Amino acid sequence: MEDLFSLSGIPALIGWTALLASPFIPRLSQWIAGVISPALLSLAYAALVLGYWSRASGGFGSLADVQLLFQSPQILLAGWVHYLAFDLFIGAWIVRTARAESLHFGFVLPLLPLTFLFGPAGFLAFTLIRAARGTLQVSR
Amino acid sequence: MSASLTLPKPNQDWFGLNKLRQDEPGFATTGILLALTVPLFLAAASLDDRLHLGINIWDKPAKFAVALSIYLLTLAFFARYVPETFRQKTSYKIFSGSVVFAVISEMVWISGAAAFGTSSHFNTEIPLLAAIYPMMGAFATLLTSASAVYAWQIHRNKNSALPPVIKTALVAGLGLTLPLTLMTAGTMSGMNSHAVGGTGLDSNSIALIGWLRDAGDLRVGHFFATHALHGIPLAGIASYFIFGATRIWSVVVFTALYSAFVIFTFVQALNGQPFI
Repeated sequence: MEDLFSLSGIPALIGWTALLASPFIPRLSQWIAGVISPALLSLAYAALVLGYWSRASGGFGSLADVQLLFQSPQILLAGWVHYLAFDLFIGAWIVRTARAESLHFGFVLPLLPLTFLFGPAGFLAFTLIRAARGTLQVSR
Repeated sequence: MSASLTLPKPNQDWFGLNKLRQDEPGFATTGILLALTVPLFLAAASLDDRLHLGINIWDKPAKFAVALSIYLLTLAFFARYVPETFRQKTSYKIFSGSVVFAVISEMVWISGAAAFGTSSHFNTEIPLLAAIYPMMGAFATLLTSASAVYAWQIHRNKNSALPPVIKTALVAGLGLTLPLTLMTAGTMSGMNSHAVGGTGLDSNSIALIGWLRDAGDLRVGHFFATHALHGIPLAGIASYFIFGATRIWSVVVFTALYSAFVIFTFVQALNGQPFI
């Protein structure tokens, strides 16, 4: 499991590095961080859940149930890989949305480590910046 | 399908925010952003039971977010009376960008200290924070100096189309904000505490604004000093409706009284007396 844990960091780090370099490789970085890396991580996640979900105890009903669920190291690793996959996907979305809305990359730069380390806090910060700039809107 | 036609357009100018963003994009956007962070600090305050000087540790970031937001949005509103040619200058853009940087630095410093459960101002125990404090004082001076720059530029603006009383009040209010704030906040900084006397705790204080009831509180004078840029222009508007567009003496008298009031609250606090 420790090997799989270390291995799962590789696509994540490649993805985040691609996002840091995104002003120079806008399309390639989106392929890496928005598609390939999250898909590889999702593959690992899905395999872990297929293999170990039915064997784990606990569930989603209460905080104590969730805690019980994560006592299974494989499910805990799946949870970690879930973070890595979705935080990276959100990072890629932030980068391309910021570019579409002409937000200077200098403002995106601090959001990337924030999203990498504390995913939802990075998403919140980006959403508040969009609201403050008046560019917050959704497409159908 | 027809229902979607009645929805508001995404770029509708709610509360005139687009006008503010157009006239001073940096101040307006940062001001709105800070206002949007207030619910975050209040949420943190409701979940975090740590106290600082007897009050919730997140009260201070929340108050600073409100205060700096109001300050920046006020400047963004007044920006329309600053000549556009001045606002287009590269030197002005560097200046206003530095002000925004200073404001964001202050917020990161204050909320960061709260997150780590320590004090931002007057912190001499943690070397990093002790080293940062003087720099934050310089940033605070820089961000407040924007009011003086606006006073100077609005004074110079021949085409502001403002009635004389209101223009005078704007220039006086903005012009006095920096010197009065430097006097009150600078003294507070030099004394290493906002309290003069008292228990050293902030728990016995006026609701919401938090001024001490059992000691002198130097933040009272700082508050009224910095709000000169609101108080005196509001008096100018009142004077416009009561005495007409050209009776500048009314603004002069009010400005003198307002400054005297700031000095009164300042001396009162220095003498260890609570404001009320």
